[in-house]
Amino acid sequence: MAKHKTHYEDCDVLVVGGGMAGTGATFEARHWGRDMKIICVEKANIDRSGAVAQGLYAINCYMGMQWGENQPEDHVRYARNDLMGMVREDLGYDMARHVDSTVHMFDEWGLPMMKNEKTGRYLREGKWQIMIHGESYKPIVAEAAKKSADKIYNRIMITHLLMDESQENRIGGAVGFNMRTGDFHVFRAKTVIVAAGGASHIFKPRAVGEGMGRTWYAPWSNGSAYALPIAVGAKMTQMENRIVLCRFKDGYGPVGAYFLHLKTYTQNANGENYEKKWYDQTKELVGDYIDHHPTPTCLRNHAFIQETMAGGGPIHMVTTEAFQDPHLETVGWENFLGMTVGQAVVWASQNIDPKYTNPELTTSEPYVMGSHATCSGAWVSGPEDLSPPEYFWGYNRMLTIDGLFGAGDTVGGSAHKFSSGSFTEGRLAAKAAVKYINDQKAEDIKVTDKQCEDFKEAIFKPLETYQVAQNEITGGTVSPSYISPIQGLQRLQRIMDEYVGGIATNYMTNGNMLKRGLELLAWLEEDLEKVGAEDLHQLMRAWELKHRALTSQCVTEHTMFREETRWPGYYYRGDHMKLDDDNWHCLTVSRRDPKTGKFSLEKVPVYHIVDENEKKKAS
Amino acid sequence: MMSINPFATLAETISPSAIQGFVLVMLALIVLGIVIQMIHHKNVTYFFNNAKKAKLAAEREIGAGEKTAIILKTVVHDIATTAELGAGKRRIAHVMGMYGTILFWVASVVMVFGYTAAGTATPTVWPMIWHVGAIMTCVGGYWFWLFLRVDVLAEAHPWYRIIKADLFVLALLACATTGLAWSYFQSSGSTGLEYLFLVLFITSNIVLFGGVYWSKFAHMIYKPGAAIQKNLAEADGSRDNLPPLADAPKQFGLGIKREQPKHY
Amino acid sequence: MSTFVYMTRCDGCGHCVDICPSDIMHIDENIRRAVNIEPNFCWECYSCVKACPNHAIDVRGYADFAPMGHSVRVRREEEKGTISWKIKFRNGTTKDFVSPITTKPWGKFIPKLADGDKPKQEEINSQMLYTEPNGLNIDGKLPSVPKDTFKKGVYY
Repeated sequence: MAKHKTHYEDCDVLVVGGGMAGTGATFEARHWGRDMKIICVEKANIDRSGAVAQGLYAINCYMGMQWGENQPEDHVRYARNDLMGMVREDLGYDMARHVDSTVHMFDEWGLPMMKNEKTGRYLREGKWQIMIHGESYKPIVAEAAKKSADKIYNRIMITHLLMDESQENRIGGAVGFNMRTGDFHVFRAKTVIVAAGGASHIFKPRAVGEGMGRTWYAPWSNGSAYALPIAVGAKMTQMENRIVLCRFKDGYGPVGAYFLHLKTYTQNANGENYEKKWYDQTKELVGDYIDHHPTPTCLRNHAFIQETMAGGGPIHMVTTEAFQDPHLETVGWENFLGMTVGQAVVWASQNIDPKYTNPELTTSEPYVMGSHATCSGAWVSGPEDLSPPEYFWGYNRMLTIDGLFGAGDTVGGSAHKFSSGSFTEGRLAAKAAVKYINDQKAEDIKVTDKQCEDFKEAIFKPLETYQVAQNEITGGTVSPSYISPIQGLQRLQRIMDEYVGGIATNYMTNGNMLKRGLELLAWLEEDLEKVGAEDLHQLMRAWELKHRALTSQCVTEHTMFREETRWPGYYYRGDHMKLDDDNWHCLTVSRRDPKTGKFSLEKVPVYHIVDENEKKKAS
Repeated sequence: MMSINPFATLAETISPSAIQGFVLVMLALIVLGIVIQMIHHKNVTYFFNNAKKAKLAAEREIGAGEKTAIILKTVVHDIATTAELGAGKRRIAHVMGMYGTILFWVASVVMVFGYTAAGTATPTVWPMIWHVGAIMTCVGGYWFWLFLRVDVLAEAHPWYRIIKADLFVLALLACATTGLAWSYFQSSGSTGLEYLFLVLFITSNIVLFGGVYWSKFAHMIYKPGAAIQKNLAEADGSRDNLPPLADAPKQFGLGIKREQPKHY
Repeated sequence: MSTFVYMTRCDGCGHCVDICPSDIMHIDENIRRAVNIEPNFCWECYSCVKACPNHAIDVRGYADFAPMGHSVRVRREEEKGTISWKIKFRNGTTKDFVSPITTKPWGKFIPKLADGDKPKQEEINSQMLYTEPNGLNIDGKLPSVPKDTFKKGVYY
């Protein structure tokens, strides 16, 4: 332990994570907190970290209020419809009313936005999406964060949050380690904004060799967004709301531009439009929700899954028509090159030219995140002017722990934010964090050296475990005394896959399976005390695994608690196979007791702050 | 010190033929090491297979005249100035070390074969070149060793961490350092230290030239070959399957590439 | 999949090590060149490929499902603000694409907020963010919803 130096740093606003939300928070914090010390700590390198590493081809959340294209309430209706009613409408409205100013700034900064030649407006891909040449989206926003921050730390993984020891339920900062130098870093902070990644790789992916790397959501999103707040007893919401995506096979390349801009469509292996076939069955499950327009994403997944199970696969997207147009062909390929290069690699390797071949689609393994078409995450306060009393406790985007804020995938209940909305949410959290400090709420925080030293020992323990255990065996990876991070990860993925609704069971689970899953997860939690890391890179993998495991426990508890099938196509409760608005038109909220490790769950009312616009038409 | 030929002084004790024989053995070790490496790794086979594959992707033929011009240009520009390292400290350190070593070796051969016979006087220019070459090697080499090695710069390993990849640069630095020390103590009259550093100098050379099979020594040959192949591929359009340079003006400055690769 | 590094092109500069979001590009101890140490955590994000000054890094599609003989290579030119791609199918078909990556000099139009006008007290007290309301390009104030319309738990 002597060789791991300790560095202490005090600051006002600590942003954990330098992705879209983290850069938004870091950037905006400087405007409101001119003289404050603002630090951003990033696990990788802020220039390419996070889910937007390879770029994006569309900004999926832009209202276009300046041209009367959409209003925030339209977005709330859209998100709530897509999530079968289960969203935090106050958070969604708040994000939607600000997101346009974020997008206009990106344009100012140099992000190439495609323009509609006729109208001069941003070129729409669909109702909410505008098209960009976003290969350098991340470096551009990273630079904005760099200009605002006092310091950006790269290659430091934050493993734990620190709590204030002088006052109950108040944040004190965060700790982590530098995976290059091996140093221990303590950040004592008046406020912490968690803007880390959601959770990929908690369910077994379809590919299990090298292909494991080609997850839809970045493999480096290890659920720190959830594990950090869960570990200190913050309340979480909608953690059962995992997402399954219908994407191109193997590469998981995006289909949005194809459906919306190229106007392609799907068909089964016999050339039939299969979605209509499942209307009646879906109506049995969810009632009128199937008649909403647009059809909720999970229900479209559901039809896909049912069709495939019934033997109608492989399901294809019909591209041969659209690709005859050279402009659309270019869009079709560049869509991947600026966002998911791997899909272009897959098609090149398999000689798939969409002009002549209709490519295959698949449904992915489940992911847990909060910024896309689902909204798992922390339970946060909304803004004062938009939140009903149960949803507001002083500061926008503050979790149930004073001084702890969240943005992006971290925040639950605000769906369909995507990149621009996450950046916007970061900005909202930053303004609120600064206000919290100016309101003198962060005075006299006490973080003792002992708290830090205890964390230091825990953080580096896997290195010691490995070294000591090596004395027992001649060599190799099989030991009775420790597990490696990849071994632990593969075990976690199997548990979730087989018991909590992964692809093994076609997303099916039930109370009995979940109970067994919790048992196995509990044993895994114990065994993770013996995870062994060979070097600093493996140490980082070990902590990624620990965060994933904790997130998985929370996901399983939530899935157990909600006794209905609210989102067929994302997952199914075999023992409660219907949508049950009478009993479950509500949000689920959990809290894990840091001392006992026990989860307690409750129902929380859903407030609809926006009415329905007009009678919904069947799609 | 700088104007004295230390080999001539040494030749008063050890016969010039022995010193010359040693140099010839070192040269033989280079050839042996590289040839065994080529046979063992089959790298020549790979190189020519690759060249054939690339030719299939060629968009145009290059005539013999153009080919020669490209090769000459590569030698003069890319190889002589180590252009592949781009702008910055690594290139400067490498160029310094490269020319320092060339001067050091050339001067060694000249002095050993031309000026060790009894009664010959060495023109001062050669010992000057020898010592300057050794100093340049040390400056470039130690700079590289302490600060610029990528495992130290980008991965935060401590400067004293030694890996197999360090065999060449460490042996080279040992040669230059011990050679200078030997010359210094020889001219200052400390016979004990003179012989100590002579032994170390001899050992360092044996490690350097004997280790050719295992070290990066042979990159001296491979890298120029690769540079020539790359420029030929650029000219014939195969470009290793890379897209061509974009036809657009340079107007935006540098972004991520502004900074050194040390963000931790 | 993933990325791999060409022996003849890598000169050990460390840009890939520095940029990789997955921390899987590292330096091999035997030859001091870059290598992908964990292909199963490679997302094929191409960050390292684009960062390499010598175009020494390339991608081979994931062995689980990508047949051999393909190539997708890139040239990112920051000064020109362009990114160029060359895709080669296994059957030899090639496709080329060039896109812009910026419309402005890097960083030049990104403000240093510390140097800008300080926010007024009314802005601090409001719900507005930096640049708003002008930055929204709308007439009037930030949209809001009156609280008396809120419905609790009722099917809308």
